[in-house]
Amino acid sequence: MSRRRRTLTTALLAVVLTGSTGLAACGGPDTTGGAGTTGGAAASGAPTGSPTGSVATEVDPALAAARSTPAEDSAYPEVGDPGVDALHYDLDVAWDRDTDTLTATEVLTFRATADAAQVRLDLAGTMAVTEALLDGAPVSTTHDGKDLVVQAAVVADQVAELTLSYAGTPEPVAAPATRTDIEGLGLTIDPDHQLWTMQEPFGAYTWYAVNDHPSDKALYDLTITAPPGWVGVAGGTPVGDTAAADGRRTTSYRLEDPAAAYLVTLAVGDYTSRELTSGSGVPITLWTPRGERRFDDALDTAPAAIDWLEQHLGPYPFDTAGAVVVRSASAMETQSMITLGDTDYATSPAVILHEFAHQWWGDLVTPADWRDLWLNEGMAMYLQWWWEAEQEGVPLDRYLERYAGDEAYARVEAGPPGRPDPRQFGSTNVYYGGAYFWAALRREIGDDAFLAVVRDWPAQQAGRSVRAADLLAFLEERTGRQLDDLWRSWLLARVSPELPR
Amino acid sequence: MSFSSAPEAPTPDDLDAWARAAQAGDRAAMEDLLTALRPRVLAVCRGVLPYTPDAEDACQDALLNIATKLTGWHGRGRVTTWTHVVAVNSARSTYRRMRTQAQAADPLEHSPITERPDPRTTSVIAGTRLDLLEAMEEIEKDHPQYVEPLLLRDVYGLPYEEIATLVGAPLGTIKAQIHHGRKLARPLLRGEG
Repeated sequence: MSRRRRTLTTALLAVVLTGSTGLAACGGPDTTGGAGTTGGAAASGAPTGSPTGSVATEVDPALAAARSTPAEDSAYPEVGDPGVDALHYDLDVAWDRDTDTLTATEVLTFRATADAAQVRLDLAGTMAVTEALLDGAPVSTTHDGKDLVVQAAVVADQVAELTLSYAGTPEPVAAPATRTDIEGLGLTIDPDHQLWTMQEPFGAYTWYAVNDHPSDKALYDLTITAPPGWVGVAGGTPVGDTAAADGRRTTSYRLEDPAAAYLVTLAVGDYTSRELTSGSGVPITLWTPRGERRFDDALDTAPAAIDWLEQHLGPYPFDTAGAVVVRSASAMETQSMITLGDTDYATSPAVILHEFAHQWWGDLVTPADWRDLWLNEGMAMYLQWWWEAEQEGVPLDRYLERYAGDEAYARVEAGPPGRPDPRQFGSTNVYYGGAYFWAALRREIGDDAFLAVVRDWPAQQAGRSVRAADLLAFLEERTGRQLDDLWRSWLLARVSPELPR
Repeated sequence: MSFSSAPEAPTPDDLDAWARAAQAGDRAAMEDLLTALRPRVLAVCRGVLPYTPDAEDACQDALLNIATKLTGWHGRGRVTTWTHVVAVNSARSTYRRMRTQAQAADPLEHSPITERPDPRTTSVIAGTRLDLLEAMEEIEKDHPQYVEPLLLRDVYGLPYEEIATLVGAPLGTIKAQIHHGRKLARPLLRGEG
């Protein structure tokens, strides 16, 4: 009990702080609207500084920032459930490298979005639930595949607390992608029995019971107990680090701002850390395999990456930053602690910049549906190219031309960026096509207006999950222009338009 | 997530190797090459011809041309770049053929080629490209040498150096041809004439 009270107090503080940083101060009364806009009512900085009237009185004010309007995904409807609005995950996990067993206790505070006879969450079948309590009373569950169903009636807008004990050997699940740098999604055991995870567009459910959908952001407390000599790493503010007599080390982290499940990272292994600071004072923690120095030079560019991004996007949106290097080939913008594969590419300065760019575009404001992935990747790619062009001393427009052929090809292969083929998640089309949309918009509205919207959109939508249509409405309102031709031709057309020049 | 380049797609080195093997008579390599090139060629044709059936016709022509004229690739640049040129030329001949057919038919009859697309229902840019093709037909009458560099530059965004290698002309000449080509094209393009 005392632990939970502490959690809520800190979360309340986080809400107040978020509201007062000015990050989210420019939202007018209309900006919270728009179909599909969810979450973050308190964090959005309504003029009075208090939660808007839409926040149910049943929701603890400390958790108001995590209130969402969950939706069924148009691309992956089998994952996530709009009946559940997760508010807070309190996860306590222990890793046994000798038996490859994850043992966990989870306390999920959630709001039911409708009256229902049962509650459905995502949890991989490899995790066996041994106990389930709803508001402290034992409750029965059924577990079929990845569907964990809690057999208890819930009432719309009422908040309940589900406590689960479970254990198992995690197994990644197949990705709906053709990229060769993603082997599987979710918690993965490396050859040395260390753990890492990448879980976009889903896969958090391989290690905890979750509404595994980006329309439902939540607050997190994560406590990790690692085998002797190792350490557990996650995003958020470190709030605990203790060693037991048997040598096992327990570290705790708190995500002070709501996060989508795909942006949660967990790594357990033989790590050492270094601390750096951005020019603006953001503390940056860099976790690398013990004794391995080959990533240091690239990781040392992290402060400069954040400095560069702050020039264009405004203040870094979270309290802490960092990177953890894992045995993957890809890289992920996990919230406040990016996860980098241990390849030259995944740890390159350009990729580090790309993943930090997502902290604004993707993490602070998040797509509410996977069809809108280009909202994240288009801007991160654009910013990456912009930075690369500066490094090379080439005008950005000239630099962009290099990729026009690949963009046209990717669009034929994987669909328009705004209507991507769900079987080819995260393909070139959403990156290049999305980036070219921004290049075309910049040409259309001019540098000043462009720079203003790139900075203001994440600030105004801080903490929320949104749809692409919300962005279009924002852009048209801010620029006073009709942009639907540009929007259609770059995001929805099957044939690539000509590059703006 | 970090960007990942097209996955199962063979690398440009693979394609060059298959092309060399195909030139030496390896039929399986030719099959692999054409299969791998098809989506690229289709993308090029769709870029020129906004109507999918036309683009698919042009794509078939282009693949046939690639198969029969592969000896014309001397390995100076990538086979993908050479393929680009073949695809552009196939798309242009398809366009030319369809325009002739459209002119031969009843002028009052609906013709998708000569009629400008309605920007509300069709990509505005696709319409622009039809204009560009028309402009190329005009320019070709007096300055055929401008057409290919101009298309490669302004439609496909290839770097000048690559165009010079492909066309087999000095860089300065290519830049001048593109410059003159643009001057001639400008008044012929919709909205700028």
